Amino acid sequence: MFSRKSMGEKIYIICNYFLLALAAFIAIYPFINIISTSFSSSRAILSGEVVFLPVEPTLQNFRMVLEDGQIFQAFKNSVTITLVGTAFNMAATVMVAYPLSKQRLMGRSIFLKLITFTMIFGGGMIPSFILVKQLGLMNTYGALWFPGLVSTFNMFVLKNYFQSIPMSLEEAAAIDGANDIYILCKIMLPLALPTLATLTLFYAVGWWNSYMNVIMYINNTGKLNMSAKLIQMIDNMNIASSAEGIGATQMLTPEGITATTIVIATAPILVVYPFLQKYFVKGVMVGSVKG
Amino acid sequence: MKNSDNQLSIFKSTFRHKSPFLNNLYRDRYLYMLLLPVLAYYLLFKYGPMYGIIIAFKDFRFVDGILGSKWVGLKHFERLFSNPEFYNILKNTLWLNFCSILFVFPMPIIMAIMINDIYSGAYKKTVQSFLYIPHFISWIVLGKILIAMLSPSTGVINSLLKTVFGIDPIFFMGDTFWWQVSFIISSIWQGTGWGTIIYLAAISGVDSELYDAAQIDGANKLRQIWHVTLPGIRSTIAIMLILRVGSVMDVGFEQIYALQNPTVRGVSEVISTYVYRLGIEGAQYSYTAAIGLFQSAIGLILISATNKTVKSLGENGLW
Repeated sequence: MFSRKSMGEKIYIICNYFLLALAAFIAIYPFINIISTSFSSSRAILSGEVVFLPVEPTLQNFRMVLEDGQIFQAFKNSVTITLVGTAFNMAATVMVAYPLSKQRLMGRSIFLKLITFTMIFGGGMIPSFILVKQLGLMNTYGALWFPGLVSTFNMFVLKNYFQSIPMSLEEAAAIDGANDIYILCKIMLPLALPTLATLTLFYAVGWWNSYMNVIMYINNTGKLNMSAKLIQMIDNMNIASSAEGIGATQMLTPEGITATTIVIATAPILVVYPFLQKYFVKGVMVGSVKG
Repeated sequence: MKNSDNQLSIFKSTFRHKSPFLNNLYRDRYLYMLLLPVLAYYLLFKYGPMYGIIIAFKDFRFVDGILGSKWVGLKHFERLFSNPEFYNILKNTLWLNFCSILFVFPMPIIMAIMINDIYSGAYKKTVQSFLYIPHFISWIVLGKILIAMLSPSTGVINSLLKTVFGIDPIFFMGDTFWWQVSFIISSIWQGTGWGTIIYLAAISGVDSELYDAAQIDGANKLRQIWHVTLPGIRSTIAIMLILRVGSVMDVGFEQIYALQNPTVRGVSEVISTYVYRLGIEGAQYSYTAAIGLFQSAIGLILISATNKTVKSLGENGLW
């Protein structure tokens, strides 16, 4: 195969392989660098010596960060926000996607129009904030979960999937006297499992990474998630280090602490990513190809 | 259609109501039971804030509530359009979007073509998995990693520039020009890999006989890309471009927030961060709601125009 190709083509192929390897490397290099920084000594970090591997490996940054119970608390908060939020999301998404996948449903086109309109127009940040505040949800995770109950895009992905399942399956069950709830739970959901897995992942990643709504609605420091805690710690450190001067931060560098917090905040996603990768990609295909 | 008619007749024979309306309602009662709570959610949390927009024409105070606050007409819009700061954030929003269409948008197309020309399946998969990773990491984390790497004193980029090229440290985050460059680079880093997926799907739909024909005609690899691949995915590129243009009033809050600092606020403040700073932090609710309404209205016009254009190209629109 290769030998039959022209010289130019060979050069193209080699360049292509090389450039893509380079691109892949650039995409993940920042993570390598930040992980290595978190394991490096303060001296090495301050002199900018960390490139690939940890320099003068040490666990002092992790010890410092973990000693302070706040990160543990923030990690637990992130887990709570993610687990409960995703469960709400999936229940609500199924509850709206399944009925709307039925052509026979009266009012279907009105419901669909109502829902589609919210994809292209919205009240915006301030009216949403006022609503949440007036509902008395401030400083509760309800302020995160309820406004973000359904992603309309994900709902359409699932609705399209339900519509692609042959009617005959459902009909047979209906003749046997099964009601819609039974058909949904025993026939449709098991068939939609791969799509459900993908949507679960998308929702979960969204919750784990959430930041803006957390700083908008959660004022209590003990309730912040990892992203918000990370920013708060960085801001506090900048104030502290500019107040105390460089001498006082000799033992713990803001850069090392920041890197370590970043690593702790990102680790869960990086750990599950290789195993769940295929589901991540599948979802986008379902959404984009079906249109 | 036929299937549902079938089912209808089965149900009809079971439950006989006088009106077909009640009959249908009863037949699908479980479906409505599932649907109604979530519809209530849409009304409260999606349409509720739309109603709340009227505070843009009032002086909203929490003690008075939305209805009780005093009407002030177009006061906030007058203040908005006479405020030079507003024109600056509008300019920043449009400019950052323009740069991102110019530099970020083509990247996934180029990369998808490159990935498609990899013949080894394992190599392709590995490269793709690495390229997708940044998409799943939050902007807060990506932004802070970038800031750490670009730091003039401890960052790896500046220390490499110094040891390899002997260049003095560049203040990437403190200099307005370099900040904008860093912003664009962060967008490329985050979105390029993930963006390739849709183009890869489009490329796989290009008829392979066209490549064979081009090869017989003596077209080299680059000419094949130019004359076969690109025309083959033209409609996908057009749709993606139009969708992208439809969102030029938006720059994501978290990306800016993670990268921003007070020194570069002149070029980095966009509508979303401005509304957050003045509205949420500064409690100027009505004024910022007016900005939000202005943004949503332009957004609605853009996306409707976009949809029309997509449809006139013979593709499926958004609605």
